[in-house]
Parts: sequence; C-alpha cells; structure tokens
Amino acid sequence: MSTSATLQTTTTAGSSERTRAIVVAALLGLGLVFMTGFAPAMALHNAAHDFRHTQNFPCH
Amino acid sequence: MIIRLVSAALVAGFLAAVVATGLQFALTSPLILKAEVYEEQDAKHTALEALPFAGLIVHAHGGENHEHGAAAEWQPAPGFERMAYTGLATLVGGVGYALLLGAVMLALRREPTPEAGLAVGIAGFLTVALAPAMGLPPELPGMGSAALGVRQAWWVMTALATGIGIYLIAVRRVALSIAGGLVLIVAPQLVGAPIVIEESRLPAALAAQFAARSLGISLVFWAVIGLAYGWAWHLFGERAEARRSHA
Repeated sequence: MSTSATLQTTTTAGSSERTRAIVVAALLGLGLVFMTGFAPAMALHNAAHDFRHTQNFPCH
Repeated sequence: MIIRLVSAALVAGFLAAVVATGLQFALTSPLILKAEVYEEQDAKHTALEALPFAGLIVHAHGGENHEHGAAAEWQPAPGFERMAYTGLATLVGGVGYALLLGAVMLALRREPTPEAGLAVGIAGFLTVALAPAMGLPPELPGMGSAALGVRQAWWVMTALATGIGIYLIAVRRVALSIAGGLVLIVAPQLVGAPIVIEESRLPAALAAQFAARSLGISLVFWAVIGLAYGWAWHLFGERAEARRSHA
C-alpha cells in the first residue's frame, strides 16, 4: 500500500498501481497453486499428496 | 494496494486452510488411507509381473513397502508428519487461490466486500473444482487413470475455459457473450476428459464417498476464502486509514 491519499486510487496514478497489484498477485497466486497442485518434483508431490487428492488436482 | 491485497490473501488463505484442513482430516484423509491399503495390495500383485513399476507406485504413496529401496523418494512419515504437510499444502494452496481471487476482484473493479468475495469464491469453486471434476472426478490413490500430463492439460484447459465462460456470462451479461460463455463452459465437457475406467479392488462406495466429500470441502474452502478475503480487505483498509489520520 502506498502512502498516497485515499482519493488518489481512482486517478490514473491509482490505475497503474492497480495493474501492478493485479499482475503481482496473479503471478504469485499461480506460482503457489502450481507448486501445491502441479509441480512434478516427487518430494513436493508426496508432501502435498493428500491435499492434491482432496482438491482434485490430477495426481500420479 | 499490493500490500493490502497480499495481507488480505494471507489472512483468507490461512482461515480457509484451517477450516479445510480440519475437514480433510475428518472426511477425506481416512478414505485415502483406506484406499492405500487396496493400492498396496494391487501393487504387490503387479510386482510379481512387473517389478520396476510396482516399486515406483508404492513409493509414491506412503506405503511401508520399501523393499525396492534404491528408488525411494522423500515422503512425510505416516501420522503427524504427513498431517502437518497436508496442512502446509492446504495453507500454500489457500493463499495461492486467495491471491488469484484478489487479483480477479481488483481486475473486475469490484469492491471486495464479504458478499462480493463469496460470489467470486463460488465462481472459483465452479472453475477449478466442479468443472474439472465433471470430467475427472476426485480420485482415490490406486484408481486407474490416463497419463498424468494429459489429465493435467485437460484440467487446466477446462478451468480456463470455465473461468472465462463464467466471466462472459456473469460480468458481461449481453446475449452474445452469454452464448459464447455457455459454449466455453460446455465445450471441454463435450470434448471429454481423458478418463480411463479400470477394474479395481477399491470399493465403488469408497470412491463415490470420496468424490462427494472432496467437492464439499472444495466448496467450503472457496466460500471461506471469498468471505474472509472481503472481511480482511476492509480490516487492512481501516488500519491504513487509522494510521493516516494519526500521522
């Protein structure tokens, strides 16, 4: 969060900040979901095994 | 803005993980353990015919069958360690999904109230849980299935198409986009999932119960992520307000 005034969020300065926040959050989120749901490394698969089955990620 | 989003996602992911981990321990983990007993029996059977593969299958699954020790991969010890890793994976997955939910709400310019969060959370459930499960139902260990890469590709494609489809229907809301959205949602199901139905010694009732419970837990997981994200977003907003007015 920046120290800019609350009103500024609707201005153009706010919109580039919004875009950056969307991109960062989306990439971070995809990375974490990939790690728990899809990463092929055996150790990660085994650690997240029961979560993968329950959340219906294709497993094995 | 990014700090507020990440903070809210951490809180939402944590709360959702606490609830979902409890539900997993109570409802699905016991079924997975039961299924692994059948899986090990099957693996021992096939081990007589095809030694190398049987070793791999057993090692991937928390069995105690370590006679082919050379291929052993790290896996959490049964009991507490395995439960801890399940909880950790649920936390990481929950935070990941909460970040995606936050990014979507920001992109849609929706004020993240708990109600709006819940709506997007339900859309998330439909997108990554229900739609892929219509083709590839939640599986217990040891159930026969097509090659992993093919199933993952169908899963990702279905989730993408369903997500865009829901967006076109629920957000765009004009006749043409609704028609396009319906096509996107139905197409992956018509194409069909790469599913293999194999004879298995696993009782069908166990598999059916697992599939239903798994979807139920996913629904709760996503509902809590959405509700908690909306709540936490306002919590962190008010804190920032308070800091500013004190400064």
